[in-house]
Amino acid sequence: MAGITISSLSKSYGGRHLRLTAVQDLNLSIQDNQFITLLGPSGCGKTTTLRLIAGYVTPDTGSIHVGDRLVSSPSGVVSPERRGMGMVFQNYAVWPHKTVYENIAFGLKLRKLSSTQVRDKVEAALALVNLKGLAERFPNELSGGQQQRVALARSLVVEPDILLLDEPLSNLDAKLREKMRGELKQLQRRTGITFIYVTHDQAEALALSDQIAVMHAGRLQQFGSPFDVYTTPANRVVADFMGLVNLVPGRIRAISGNTAQVEADGGLVLLASCPAEMAVGMEIDIAIRPENIRLSATPEALAGVVSERTFLGNLCEYVVVAPGGQALRVQTHPLQQFSVGQSVGIIIDPSQCSLFAREPDAVASAA
Amino acid sequence: MTGATVGSITLGRQAPLGLTKQRPPSRFTRLFSLEYLIMGGAIVALFVLVVLPLCFLLIGSIWGENGFTLEYFAEAFSGRLYVQALLNSLILGAWTGLFSLLLGLPLAWAVARTNIPGKPLITLTANLSYLSPPFLTAIAFVNLFGPNAGLINAFSRDVLGLPWLGFNIFSMSGLVLVTVLHTFPYVYLLASSALQSVDASYEEAAQILGASKWRTALVITTPLVMPAILSGVLLAFVNAIALFGSQAIIGLPGRIVTLPTRIYSLFDYPPQYGLASALSLLFVFITIAALYLQRAYLAKRSFVTLGGKGARPQLMDLGWVKWPLFGFCVLVFFIAIALPYMTLIAVSLSKSWGLAFWQGLTLEHYRFVLFDYDVTQRAIRNSLGLATIAATVAVFLGAIIGWIDIRTHLPGRKFLDYAALVPLGLPGIVMAVALIQFWLSMPIALYGTLAILLLAYVGRYIPLGVRAANTSLRQIDPTLEESARILGASWGHTLKEITLPLMRPGLFAGWLLVFVPVIQELSASILLFSSSSMTLAVAIYNLYETGYTEPVAALAMINMAIIVVAIALARKIAGGGIGKEPDKNLTAQGGTA
Repeated sequence: MAGITISSLSKSYGGRHLRLTAVQDLNLSIQDNQFITLLGPSGCGKTTTLRLIAGYVTPDTGSIHVGDRLVSSPSGVVSPERRGMGMVFQNYAVWPHKTVYENIAFGLKLRKLSSTQVRDKVEAALALVNLKGLAERFPNELSGGQQQRVALARSLVVEPDILLLDEPLSNLDAKLREKMRGELKQLQRRTGITFIYVTHDQAEALALSDQIAVMHAGRLQQFGSPFDVYTTPANRVVADFMGLVNLVPGRIRAISGNTAQVEADGGLVLLASCPAEMAVGMEIDIAIRPENIRLSATPEALAGVVSERTFLGNLCEYVVVAPGGQALRVQTHPLQQFSVGQSVGIIIDPSQCSLFAREPDAVASAA
Repeated sequence: MTGATVGSITLGRQAPLGLTKQRPPSRFTRLFSLEYLIMGGAIVALFVLVVLPLCFLLIGSIWGENGFTLEYFAEAFSGRLYVQALLNSLILGAWTGLFSLLLGLPLAWAVARTNIPGKPLITLTANLSYLSPPFLTAIAFVNLFGPNAGLINAFSRDVLGLPWLGFNIFSMSGLVLVTVLHTFPYVYLLASSALQSVDASYEEAAQILGASKWRTALVITTPLVMPAILSGVLLAFVNAIALFGSQAIIGLPGRIVTLPTRIYSLFDYPPQYGLASALSLLFVFITIAALYLQRAYLAKRSFVTLGGKGARPQLMDLGWVKWPLFGFCVLVFFIAIALPYMTLIAVSLSKSWGLAFWQGLTLEHYRFVLFDYDVTQRAIRNSLGLATIAATVAVFLGAIIGWIDIRTHLPGRKFLDYAALVPLGLPGIVMAVALIQFWLSMPIALYGTLAILLLAYVGRYIPLGVRAANTSLRQIDPTLEESARILGASWGHTLKEITLPLMRPGLFAGWLLVFVPVIQELSASILLFSSSSMTLAVAIYNLYETGYTEPVAALAMINMAIIVVAIALARKIAGGGIGKEPDKNLTAQGGTA
């Protein structure tokens, strides 16, 4: 009903001399009733994408459909006030000259509801975001978290089909962010509104989303469930952005079916699932997450020497130097202790490795 | 349909409340939306107010009876009268700039950086000097230092028997003195806000590395605030040469003719429009060049934010030196404020101004100007009405133009912004000449009406409206407007509910900033008024010209009272805390008196 279809959407800014491509050839099909995250580093085009969806920005090419209704194309844009969407801004944008009540009632009054209806709905919205009793306050009398809830209530009270959220938690402190994260997720599940959420925080994206769209340099890198995006990243950029990753150089020795036999520099041989475009003899990088490497005090096929140890509370992080000179980051259970200088066996789970074709200037050119 | 009921609100998947889904509006309907009508109206207004009159000024200066001609410019550059006027204006501007620096900088430094006592007195002096109509100061000083009747001159000649002690105000030095008292606040305001915004940490960092206090002041502080000081001097220059009132009152009796007074005389019968236009353009060229320099200097100020908050300036303990400095401040207050106003009050109450003026004090002159002199009441009504309307229109036009510049991507919006700034470089008399050239060739007879005065005032002060709007718009995050739009508010509704209320304090400061100078506007009014569209400033000037010494002083005091009451009232209406002093950011943008 309120699915969003984005086809070959592009937008660039600037004048004749310097054009900055914010979004390039974006295709995305967002289903109804989902919590979608646009994830990427700053400048990756995620906020521009959100503003394109909201109708603040006219695309250079492509189109946006909500359901089967065309809302944006280079020749015209349905203005934001006719889209029936809601939006929560990074800085909340709670109007400083209106009380909490007036802020929340604003959209209802525009919809010509009777004053009793307005009052009831504002009351309910305040209860929904746990702000009961603060209706007559002005925004400067509220904490950041409370302003955040006002912004949320203001967008939800008009019952939009789609709620757009632009890094809504980034200005909150860590503890409150955690709490609001949980509340947002619950709210989305309860209301069934399609949430489109922009963030640069991969942990937030993993925790909240049904689907994550990872963006980099204006392009969509991968669109999938948090589990897929984390465990089988589509490319080096996604692997790198979605958490810590070791990239070990190597080459493909043999391929059978979709499994490749890979030899890492230093002699380690692994079996890993292999993307279709790879061929025997190719130079590749093997991406291994630190938590998928285990260490043992007994010798294994691959050995290394612990060079650094960092205790992080819930886990312990080691840097282990493999015979090829490769430094690997390894995360273990905190009670599993090794000391610096100790020789250890390295066990890598091949099913959790990804292979990427080697590029000299990997991250920059992956886009 | 999934949904959850929370309280009585169903956050479910119905169609959004009451918002009709429509196709994107066509280009045609968008062109006639409120948004485009208002923006279009503002653009048209700017053309009528500024762009077209300037075009006609240009045409008038190169278009004679037989088509294209350069004879007016040739005359302006070769005629002895005109070259002399140009030279006099430049000399006046240069001396005024220098003395504004010598007066304004020590005061600014004392307030911003020392532990001198009586800082409120200095602030008051600067603000009052900035607000006082310059021609009132001139009239006051004529009453003191006129060669024959001036009270102090008469005193030193007749009582002390020391005629050489006297001072002839009708001279270049007299003109510079009277002008400086109005222009030194430009240096003061810019320098003091720059000095205040230099954070002490810059200086402390130099000191911890071993630099002495004076060395720090020389190599750290001075370079940081130099752009602001120089730009203050240039503003003083630009404003000094544009002041018609003091140049007519002091200069003409002393046979010092300057550009504004020379242009004025060209309108004596038969009027020489072409020559006046050429001279006006020459005048504009000078002020624009100076303002361009000023902007270039100010652009380098990136390290000192004018009017910035949060900086923690370092105060210097002056020891005994603070007392001579304090004495200097009191002296400035005395000469700039106390002396002229005490003089005007004394003159207005004396039966006949002279050495024995305290004998027979009377309110007769007040009665005369208020009730017998039939011009006064009309002039007060006209001035109040014009100032109120002009300030309101300038501020609203400014808000729209500022909005177009900052919030839209309309092609040509930068041109609009520049066009709205151009009047900063237009001395009042030039604006008047341009309006005359334009409206005389239009089929509508505006010359001599209140309407043409209104056009002149709005046109001249629209930069202040635009700057006020720009400053406050920049402080309003665009997401505040965007969030109203996505909740379903139209452009107009957002403007009314969100943008304008948030801009209100800034717009109000801008309103006062236009209102006050319009009440005392003389430079443009003097060419545009008629007996029915008489304004207060013109009435005072005419009364002075006719030689009514004491009633002029009475009318001048009434003028000041009106300004003070109007400011107080306006502040009360807008709520406190606004416009306590001339907005430094706005002053920094310049503007000619």
